Amino acid sequence: MHNDLVEKLIARRLRALSDETQDHAPYGWAEFQRRRDTGAVATRPAGRIRPAAFAIAAAAAVLVAGIAIATLSHYRASMLAPIGTVAGGHGGHDNTPPATPDPLARQRTRALEGWLADLPHDPAVVRVGEHAAVSRLQDQIAALDDLMSAERAAGAQPSRLDPLERQRTQLVSSLAQVRYAEMLASATL
Amino acid sequence: MSRLADIPISSELIERARGGEEAAQAAIYGSLGPAVFALIRRLVANRAVAEDLFQDTMIVLFQRLADFRGEAPLGAWLRQIAVTRCLMYLRSPWHRARLQWDMDEDAPLSTTVLPVTPATPADAVDVERAMASLTPVGRAVVWLFEVEGYSHEEIARLFGRSVSFSKSQLARALVRLRQTLAPQEEEACTTI
Repeated sequence: MHNDLVEKLIARRLRALSDETQDHAPYGWAEFQRRRDTGAVATRPAGRIRPAAFAIAAAAAVLVAGIAIATLSHYRASMLAPIGTVAGGHGGHDNTPPATPDPLARQRTRALEGWLADLPHDPAVVRVGEHAAVSRLQDQIAALDDLMSAERAAGAQPSRLDPLERQRTQLVSSLAQVRYAEMLASATL
Repeated sequence: MSRLADIPISSELIERARGGEEAAQAAIYGSLGPAVFALIRRLVANRAVAEDLFQDTMIVLFQRLADFRGEAPLGAWLRQIAVTRCLMYLRSPWHRARLQWDMDEDAPLSTTVLPVTPATPADAVDVERAMASLTPVGRAVVWLFEVEGYSHEEIARLFGRSVSFSKSQLARALVRLRQTLAPQEEEACTTI
């Protein structure tokens, strides 16, 4: 009974508080319009925007990890296999003679390299996993470049160089995908 | 009853705002905005978040004004939008995660004092402090039940929980308020 009375008094004081407290809108109509017009990704409640951003970032991270693992396993398999047996990128199980690299594929690789060169050296938000995947791919491309230069210097036949070039095309393509996913994840945060 | 639900807005003004007349929209903003923000601040202590929720609520008001059928006052309709948005925030995993990192701002038993102006009487300051000692959810339940007049069923629905959740949150919060305000209330009881 006594508690009920105390609670009623508390309720009354809370209701009085509602009337006593001086209310102000945080800003005027002009500022409201300005914020509305500038849109509002920045003004949205964090509780709503963050889960979406995290979901996209998580998807990008999964994509990056998948690409990195696939590329690494392919690269290891191709390094273990004798040159000339990695055509088609299936770990050296393909015994058909390697096809000459497609000129269109070369053009696409050059275009991708141009796009990669125009990107900032590091993304706005650096994530350890993505950064490691990018570094690993860049190292692999550099290693292949060294190997191809050495082969050319030794007067290697196209049958030895073509598989390396195809491999390089795949690595550049993977690197472009990782950097694209990285950009997408940065843009959503 | 909350002031927000009591603020009179003429149907003629609402019609003009619906038609896109900026002066009418500004007038509605000027009339309802302060009470909307006060309510949001009661439910969400963090000012920056409260401003975001306020902006969001007012945008929704003008976007959905065409759907307003006038069965209840415009303020009551807007209050529902604001409360839903605040509770979405309080229920969001992001907010709950943030509480772990940001214990000094929204956590239970904090010393955060909700908006108090220089003109606020000392008695109100005590109630503010007592309210600030509650958990964010407890504070929201107390305010919605005691001040805004929501039923336990409505609060449970808003939180996506059971009625007993609402009742137990309210009971716990009132015990805490009673403890904090006890000496004053004891005195008040003896004088009644």
